[in-house]
Amino acid sequence: MDEAALRGWLAQAAGDDALRITALTRLSGGAIQQNWALDVEVAGTKRRWVLRTDAPAVLAVSHTRPQEFALLRAAREASVTVPQPLFLCEDLSVIGRPFFVMARVEGVAAPHRAVKDPTLGGGRQACVAALGRELARIHSIRPPRADLAFLGEPPPDAARAAIAGLRARLDAAGTPRPVLEWGLRALERKAPAPVPPVLCHNDFRTGNVMLDAQGVAAVLDWEFAGWGDPHADLGWFCAKCWRFGQVAQEAGGIGPREAFLAGYGQPVDAARLPWWELLATIRWAVIAADQAARHLSGQERSLELALTGHMVPELEWDVLAMAEAL
Amino acid sequence: MQEKPDAADLLATARDVVLQDLLPALPPDKAIAARMVAAAIALALRQATAPPMAEADLAALAAAIRAGRHDPGTESHAQVAAFLRDYARARAAVSAPKALG
Repeated sequence: MDEAALRGWLAQAAGDDALRITALTRLSGGAIQQNWALDVEVAGTKRRWVLRTDAPAVLAVSHTRPQEFALLRAAREASVTVPQPLFLCEDLSVIGRPFFVMARVEGVAAPHRAVKDPTLGGGRQACVAALGRELARIHSIRPPRADLAFLGEPPPDAARAAIAGLRARLDAAGTPRPVLEWGLRALERKAPAPVPPVLCHNDFRTGNVMLDAQGVAAVLDWEFAGWGDPHADLGWFCAKCWRFGQVAQEAGGIGPREAFLAGYGQPVDAARLPWWELLATIRWAVIAADQAARHLSGQERSLELALTGHMVPELEWDVLAMAEAL
Repeated sequence: MQEKPDAADLLATARDVVLQDLLPALPPDKAIAARMVAAAIALALRQATAPPMAEADLAALAAAIRAGRHDPGTESHAQVAAFLRDYARARAAVSAPKALG
């Protein structure tokens, strides 16, 4: 990364010609995006920021950095706990790719720690209640929104659109998966009536929220956000596949479902959740299979991706039971 | 006859080396990689010793399910449900045996 060019651009954006970069180090994680810890001195004050940009191989289904910046701003206006978005750079001459800068938040975004460490999140009940509140704030963002025009029109029927989307991905992948088809067909027969669309995070789960000792430090990873049915996020968070082994804690492996929904606060038709939990399980299976396909095709040889593919049979086993119970 | 120890023995022995000799000596940031290697060996071992799966036209089955031809109330429903249970169990037995309880 061209640190001099970056410094010059940041100095202008922050309105301080003397801005100094004191540290710039790549953070781990993020196959799709790159995050850099960026420490600066601006107007005599030390600031800790994150620079977020695309990894060289960009996944087509994910939002661009400018779009993610707009989502962060909308979320912050709606009082969602997100890192404060600071500057957006779409000028490719600076570091070669679009990037944005946001405040750096300290906390833990590791799911296996989050489900096992009772000191994280301010207590188990309080933590899931706080996560429910965050989701309600996200869902308070409603279309139409000129600043989120890139999200397109809300689907007239989010449930059926989700089924169609997963079938299209299965067809594109080309591997016949009769168990997932069985689950999708069960969903299709029992599709819920549409509700008014809201902004859905679409990957709201333990691991994509940063926790600290007090509670929720930040809701992260907005790249799949879009208009949809709010129950989709509730079901994704509660689905067994996102409990990281703590199956009895139905809200993300962290706490009870009731406390999570109480924190959410809005009237929730809890009877709709099993439908979205089954959809969540199938969606994760489709994503896991696609990840393994990146390994199998040679596009990105990786033991982690290879093993992710072997999560599909367990998910299929769950799909059969959930479809039966629907 | 091939020389012994056979593939299953070698894989199991190699896995023990990874977990018992290498893992404790590795820096913490490499522990996950070692655990993944051990998991991959265990999985390969289960796959190598699993009974062969029955032949089936999975593409045709998937298409028929999607088209609703095995919905509840159809003649074939129970038979297809039973096949899928066996199929899913056989796959999970290799990929995730703990899930089967």
